[in-house]
Amino acid sequence: MSTPVQSRSSKASGPPKAGHGGLPSVYAKLIMAVTGAVFAIFVLVHMIGNLKIYQGEEAFNSYAHWLRVAFYPVLPYEGLLWIMRVVLLACLVAHVYCAVLLRRRGAVARGRWRRRGLGLDVFAARTMMVTGVVLLLFIVFHILDLTLGAAPAGPDEFQAATHEVSHAYANLVASFGRWPVALFYIVAMACLALHLAHGVVSAVVDLGVGVRPRVFSALAAGGLLFGLIVALGNITIPVAVLTGVLQ
Amino acid sequence: MKLTIEVWRQENAEAEGRFVTYRVDDAAPEMSLPELLDRLNDQLVSAGEEPIAFDTDCREGICGTCGITVDDVPHGKVPNTPTCRQHLRSYDDGDHLKLEPFRSASFPVIRDLMVDRSALDRVIASGGYVSVDAGTAPDADTRQIPFQVAEAGLDFSACIGCGACVAACPNGASHLFSGALLSHLTALPQGRPERARRARGVVSTTEEEFGPCSVYGECVEVCPAGIPISAISAVNREAARAAVRRRRDD
Repeated sequence: MSTPVQSRSSKASGPPKAGHGGLPSVYAKLIMAVTGAVFAIFVLVHMIGNLKIYQGEEAFNSYAHWLRVAFYPVLPYEGLLWIMRVVLLACLVAHVYCAVLLRRRGAVARGRWRRRGLGLDVFAARTMMVTGVVLLLFIVFHILDLTLGAAPAGPDEFQAATHEVSHAYANLVASFGRWPVALFYIVAMACLALHLAHGVVSAVVDLGVGVRPRVFSALAAGGLLFGLIVALGNITIPVAVLTGVLQ
Repeated sequence: MKLTIEVWRQENAEAEGRFVTYRVDDAAPEMSLPELLDRLNDQLVSAGEEPIAFDTDCREGICGTCGITVDDVPHGKVPNTPTCRQHLRSYDDGDHLKLEPFRSASFPVIRDLMVDRSALDRVIASGGYVSVDAGTAPDADTRQIPFQVAEAGLDFSACIGCGACVAACPNGASHLFSGALLSHLTALPQGRPERARRARGVVSTTEEEFGPCSVYGECVEVCPAGIPISAISAVNREAARAAVRRRRDD
């Protein structure tokens, strides 16, 4: 190759360099993998907790109440909840920051001609940004709806929890009684399934686990299965409210 | 067989490129893609036009010199096969082919279908080697290496450096290349004394020259050397290991 062509990295000026300045991409990916794993465990536990609604109003409300008074007096009232909130918020900020950083670096490194002709097998991978944004919007709505009960996100009949009793069951039924809310919830859960399907695979690889080709297929299937279990477990709840199973 | 071929024509690195459509009426199923381009170039030269510039060398899939994007897929439609081993028997009479260079900001176009892949060389130069003094060969059994370990090292060393993994990646990442480099050199004892230093160099140059990996897995679909997907995780693993080793070389 006789024509001297400058490398992207040696250009004094020009487009911003993919890997220069700021957090190295390797660490950004490790941060995304660890914070993503925290979210994956959280949504699984959250889903299992949600399923307690099928044990009846009393059981569900007492579970909601327990979350507030858990480990009292070692932890103050709502201590566990606040620890979870702070950790999850920190993870969320780090996850979103790294996602934006990596997406930008990827776009710069790829350049003007986008990769075309990608198949459905990478659909989840390609839509990580879209599903991520939907999930972010959903998280905001979900907190306004069922944690704060702030109108118009929350139901009109919202009853805030007190130190003695929680009204989670009634709030949930009132919220999902509004079909647009139930529909948004189902869409968000579909996005969660897709996000987890690729996220699990990506996290395992980014954490440095050398996955052989055959195991990689199994891992991809495992990621999809995990996403579907979490999403479908949750989706049964608005469906049960809309069909009148839960009242 | 008659083929319609859309080819990317670009004068030089600075010029704006464009697709030009040609017809080849006497293509044959047994022709490879470089042979098709040779045929087309004969036509162009006879007509007094500039021939299409493209990289080609061994034409038997071992050198890694050739590499073009065919209908949006690096190397062409047959998976894990270099451009020179892609044949027209995968196409039908009257088909339309779109030939363009490997697409990545890290691979600037030199002319037509030729790109500058020296970014890959810079990754190798930043640590992807073993510094050993040449001397007499050691006795055969002084260091016993299990067959599977040797085979794994050989699997990763099969990379021919064609750059298709970068061109296939929506992020323009070279993790399959860089990971194969790190994996094969750490598989065997000769590469161990410089393991951490190598990882620091290779990973930082990889990040300067290429994009981040998002585990799309597109690279392994096109890799003509069949580098396994386990290579890509070696980049993060070796980087994390090197960070823990602090300033040590091994």
